[in-house]
Amino acid sequence: MAVLQLVGAGLQAALLPDLAPSLLQGATVLTALAGLLALEVGEGPDWRSLLHRSVSVLLAALPMALVLLLLVPRLGPFAALPGLEGGAALTGLNDNLDPGGIAALADDPGPAARVSFPAGGGPPPENQRYWRVLVHDRFDGRQWLAAPGARRDGAALNAAPAAGEPGSLQELWLSEPSGLTTVHWSGSGRPVGEALRQDGRGELRLRAPSGQRRMYAIAAAAGAENGLWRRLPPRPLDLQLAPGRNPRLEALAADWARLPAPQQRLAAAEAWFRSQGFRYTRSPGTLPEQAPLDAFLFEQRAGFCGHFAGAFSALMRQAGVPARVVSGYRGGTWVTAIGGGSYLDLRRSDAHAWSEVWLPDRGWLRVDPSAWVAAGAAPAPSLAGAGALGWLQRQWWGVDLAWSRLWLGFDRRSQEALLERLLGERRELVGALVLALVALGLAAGLSLLGWLGRRGGSDPLRRELERSLALLARQGLAPAPGETLPRFLARVQGQRPALAEDLAALAEAYGTARFAPPRSGSNAADLRELRRRRLGRQLRHRNARTGNGAGHAGQASEPTD
Amino acid sequence: MTRPDRPPLAELTDAIGRVLLGKEHAVRLALACLLARGHLLIEDLPGVGKSTLAEALARSFGLEFRRVSFTSDLLPADLTGVNVFEPAEARFRFRPGPLFSQVLLADEINRASPRTQSALLEAMAAGRVSVDGTSHPLPEPFLVIATQNGLDQGGTAPLPESQLDRFLMRLNLGFPPREAERALLAGEGTSSEALGQRLSPADLLALQERCSHQHVSPALLDYVLDLLARSREPGRAGLPLSPRAGLGLLAAARAWSLIEGRNHVIPDDVQAVAAAVCEHRLDGGQPGATAGERSSALLAGVDGLR
Repeated sequence: MAVLQLVGAGLQAALLPDLAPSLLQGATVLTALAGLLALEVGEGPDWRSLLHRSVSVLLAALPMALVLLLLVPRLGPFAALPGLEGGAALTGLNDNLDPGGIAALADDPGPAARVSFPAGGGPPPENQRYWRVLVHDRFDGRQWLAAPGARRDGAALNAAPAAGEPGSLQELWLSEPSGLTTVHWSGSGRPVGEALRQDGRGELRLRAPSGQRRMYAIAAAAGAENGLWRRLPPRPLDLQLAPGRNPRLEALAADWARLPAPQQRLAAAEAWFRSQGFRYTRSPGTLPEQAPLDAFLFEQRAGFCGHFAGAFSALMRQAGVPARVVSGYRGGTWVTAIGGGSYLDLRRSDAHAWSEVWLPDRGWLRVDPSAWVAAGAAPAPSLAGAGALGWLQRQWWGVDLAWSRLWLGFDRRSQEALLERLLGERRELVGALVLALVALGLAAGLSLLGWLGRRGGSDPLRRELERSLALLARQGLAPAPGETLPRFLARVQGQRPALAEDLAALAEAYGTARFAPPRSGSNAADLRELRRRRLGRQLRHRNARTGNGAGHAGQASEPTD
Repeated sequence: MTRPDRPPLAELTDAIGRVLLGKEHAVRLALACLLARGHLLIEDLPGVGKSTLAEALARSFGLEFRRVSFTSDLLPADLTGVNVFEPAEARFRFRPGPLFSQVLLADEINRASPRTQSALLEAMAAGRVSVDGTSHPLPEPFLVIATQNGLDQGGTAPLPESQLDRFLMRLNLGFPPREAERALLAGEGTSSEALGQRLSPADLLALQERCSHQHVSPALLDYVLDLLARSREPGRAGLPLSPRAGLGLLAAARAWSLIEGRNHVIPDDVQAVAAAVCEHRLDGGQPGATAGERSSALLAGVDGLR
């Protein structure tokens, strides 16, 4: 029964490797084991000794667990986990960006991702913290949609690095389950490993929607390779429009289209946005079905990042400049965790949308129209509160990050590497090695259990006595088979007359605690008395005394504690 | 171990010890047997002081003492007593036999027929005697001290194991040490007549009551249980100990702890009485005492530290 339970807990841990669930599972297993033990032993509910026992059982199981963790093949993520396929609901990001359909943004403090920068140094400067996730390049007059599938011309992006050596790591990500097939990155560098591919639009794509917490690394990329996707020329799709949906928008953009250079059209748009008195709000209300962007630009004039990015990109396309909308995260909280290392914490409320426009001489350029809006560009206030509570919360996230890395970091590749180092080419020995180590782990566990049992088991009085006896045993004084404590101590006394007083005190204390009728003081007092009489302490004390030449001073110099 | 507040029983054991020179341990065991409401079997050669011990015990408590020599022609009625017809009153009257005494010395018990033996042992176990369908209770402190000669087995009926179990203890007095025998020969010992009464029968009853209330901790109970379990392990030499043996061992240990002047029992008490209580149950009453080998092997097989 207990074994089944442990296996179950292990499987659960493999599915949910976060720190909090792992701790909870540990506690659950512990209490459940104690319950099982109580059933088996049939003793009263002495919870302390039961818990003590189940801790020793778990300790004994540890060597085995370690062997299994190191050597048994990892289970792949269970992709079809129900409940984690909820898609956008999890991150605040969606394949369809439709700000007009959202009346108000909810402040969701849930974690989205954490990133640390192993190369050293702090996070990028505040105005450079744009973490891209999704690119929306299809426009229907109201919504911006992410085109399904990868852009075909992205193949070159994923060619093996020329030097063959991956560059140094520059970003280490831990992203929460999102239901999307793309994950966060800054847009520069290259992903490490086979699981992630760069897309021509500047997305990092997974093979399947991310239903699990996931760890991945971005390595620095050399020169021309770095940010190659920025220089991939626009396709016709990047100029695609929805004619007639927003007539006033079209009229406005037509003015700008007459300017000769795309740079000038961009400048004109910025100047227009800055002059119109737009207001940033997280609860703008919905937009009408008819000419929604006209309603936003010329009547409502208030919205959040999605409104600005969507409307700006539509204007740019109308003006003949290839443009698209990028959604992802902006900012983040820089957390210096004790022990866990520093990291940038992204919450779901940090979600953001901005635009990218194509300038022939500069490639795809990030433009954040929300930033032009006076006093409005600030992202949602950090939800990790100030004060002690917030500090505690950030520390917890830091420990959680370290744990997740430890757990997720040891993946199949690390396992392979370990086997490679252990066995070299003789892979056929894997089975024998696993068997041998499992046997070793079992033996280690059992002997640990035995050792714990020999130390007096769950009886604190006897354990206390064993401590004193172990000290005498080291001097070659062990009780004969069946010998009682007073008789043994009397024998010791014959050989070590200097100890007479301490031995008598120990015999008296133990005999009273063990066999005398219980007094009002109860067991705890007996145990305290026995601790006070512990032989080791007395011996050390006596040695110190004789060392000082103080000689035998009797009860007066009893150690006081 | 001498302490200023000597238990009252220490004086008694000292006094009896002066009668039975060099036999302090045996005297204490016999006293413990009396306090534990058990019966005593002394197995030894003639002339080592069996009767003296019985007499001294009886005298020191002021108990009524009788001695019956068991012979092969002794009948149960000779022990229990008979109903005799009283012509004057025209009815039967019960005339109690020697069994109706407080301390009965049954000399050479193995010479009597098994029928007579079992009559005695039934009376010992039940504390009452039935004659012609009428039940007569035995006097209250009731101690049987039976002796048997372990060496001369001609024409005897040795006690079967089941009967042996009814004796709480079996003692071997043995020869006194040289110094004690010198004192004996020099006439330095006290005669049992000169011992005099030290305590009353009522005192004895009170002591017996107190004895049964000596504290036994769970740890000590575990120790006794471990000893019993150990004796029952298959492949061990000797017979297994019965639950009655366990009760007897605990009762004797309680009495011993009282004699030692403690209010609770410790493993040392159990070990002190173990040879006397267990040996005759382990060896099945074989002639020629095994000198406590089996009980000491039993003690060595169980953790005594507790």
